[in-house]
Amino acid sequence: MPWDLDNDRPIYLQLMERIQQDIIAGTYKPGDKLPSVRDLALDAAVNPNTMQKALSELERSGLVYSQRTSGRFITEDKKMLKNMKLELASEHIHQFLEKMELLGFESGETLELIQKALKEDK
Amino acid sequence: MLGKLVKYDLKYGMRIFIVLHAILVTACILGRILFMNQLDFNLKLEAYLSPLILFFSLFLLLFTGIGFGINILLVARFYKNLYTDEGYLTWTLPATATQQLWAKIISGIIWEFSSVLISAASLLILVSGDNVTEAYAQVAADVTKSLGMPITQFGISLLIYSLFGTLGSIVMLYLCVAIGQLFPGHRILCAIVTYFILSAIIQVLSFSLMFAFNIGPGTTAYLASRGMPATHYMVTSFRLGGVMSAIIMIAAYFGVQYIMNKKLNLS
Amino acid sequence: MKPLLECQGLTKKYNNFYALSNLDLTLERGQIVGLLGPNGSGKTTLIKLINGLLIPTDGRVMINSLAPGVETKKLVSYLPERGYLNDHMRVDEILSYFVDFYDNFSIERANAMLKDLEIDTHARLRTLSKGTKEKVQLVLVMSRDAELYILDEPIGGVDPAARDYILHTILTNYNENATILLSTHLITDIENVLDRVIFLQNGQLTLNATVDEIRSKWGKSVDALFREVFKC
Repeated sequence: MPWDLDNDRPIYLQLMERIQQDIIAGTYKPGDKLPSVRDLALDAAVNPNTMQKALSELERSGLVYSQRTSGRFITEDKKMLKNMKLELASEHIHQFLEKMELLGFESGETLELIQKALKEDK
Repeated sequence: MLGKLVKYDLKYGMRIFIVLHAILVTACILGRILFMNQLDFNLKLEAYLSPLILFFSLFLLLFTGIGFGINILLVARFYKNLYTDEGYLTWTLPATATQQLWAKIISGIIWEFSSVLISAASLLILVSGDNVTEAYAQVAADVTKSLGMPITQFGISLLIYSLFGTLGSIVMLYLCVAIGQLFPGHRILCAIVTYFILSAIIQVLSFSLMFAFNIGPGTTAYLASRGMPATHYMVTSFRLGGVMSAIIMIAAYFGVQYIMNKKLNLS
Repeated sequence: MKPLLECQGLTKKYNNFYALSNLDLTLERGQIVGLLGPNGSGKTTLIKLINGLLIPTDGRVMINSLAPGVETKKLVSYLPERGYLNDHMRVDEILSYFVDFYDNFSIERANAMLKDLEIDTHARLRTLSKGTKEKVQLVLVMSRDAELYILDEPIGGVDPAARDYILHTILTNYNENATILLSTHLITDIENVLDRVIFLQNGQLTLNATVDEIRSKWGKSVDALFREVFKC
């Protein structure tokens, strides 16, 4: 099943996000070995070089590390994983707040709406 | 590489070749049994002359048709394999243009030679009945005298000449197709037109050559040969024809080779 | 390492019409490259020149530093946009034809792909549908261990499922020594598998960039950019 990718943003960025997402969602656990570039590229139906670039970027961020012969692994650094989770959360929140602002809600009103929604969900 | 190319060329035409010649051989066997063997040469000439002429005219037509069919087969293979969509595969094989050309020439020679030999054998089937050979024995001396050689030798010379002649015609047919493809949109038409133009040029050339060598109709050599055996004149013109054919073949070869190497232009 | 493909001042003129004019282009190994352009922009002319099916009017084209010839034909595996197989042959006869002529043809790979696609190898080509014939040709072309694959409109006439299989085949056979040059006008379908795209217009190169460069710079897909550049 090809990964669902947007048309207007660089592909490697989207691949990075998708893998980060998978790590957070627990598809890959800390210390797990990642599939090979070729397999990941086939799975995503994207160019292997683009997948390679996405993985190199993830490596640069420290989220993934490579062992020369045996492949790429997810970091076991729990703190880093937690930070990444928080970072992504803050990103989503900011995006949400921006949208609410566009709809004309002020911070207080937005907070009220959130609390209301949370209650309903329960 | 060349061997493989030839193999596939031969494979392509095999079925048509076999069908054509099976028809020829069958017709000759039937002609022998149903017609030739029934002839009684002890009767008066008038009794069997007209049917015999009619019979041989029909067979002449058949032999010519088979020869024509083989030429068509060669041209079709050359054209289809090199200059239609199939050319996209043929020309991207790891072979040179010269190898492609030689594959077509060699497969052409194999087909033409086999055809000429089978035709000769078929003709033999037709005329080798006892009644024919016995009748011939009575006139053999006269025929030998007027031919200037025994009929077997004459037949073999004729066969060798035909084999040689096919060589020139193979390359010339290919040249016509190759020239035709220089005119996108009218490839086949231009190939046919080229054939007629080249044939006309060759006719004119050989005629002028005959006069130049003093053997054309009305020349002194021609008149002088009238008292000689019929083959004397034929042999002289065959020799000339052979030389002509060799020149045409070589010129045509370099023509096709040039076009195939430098002017490939697939649509 | 030498570039896999190099065109210098490559020009092809038909009468007074320039099908390709003064094209400079270099392709490295290990890429999947999209050759894009409207009809008549020179895509097929370029492809034919690389394959030695046309003689350039001017300039030159080099594959692995060699002019098109026997040696380059061993390296290039070419899928034309038309059917180039003899309709009277059976699929298995065509396979042995390829075995005979190409040292780098893998019949195992071909048979495996034909099986995946459920194509009967005993069938004569003329009994197969147009789409199936195209698949047979693609299988033949992708079963060679070539260095340059040139695919002219490989996904034009096939159904979406087959299209996915073809893209999958291209990705599976990808190796870092080989480059795939594929021309198409169905960009959306293949955008994600490309490294780089080349835009041709009126026989000239108008853009040569990676897909992600285009997306970063213009903030839109190659498909959207293509529609904008070649707006009628």
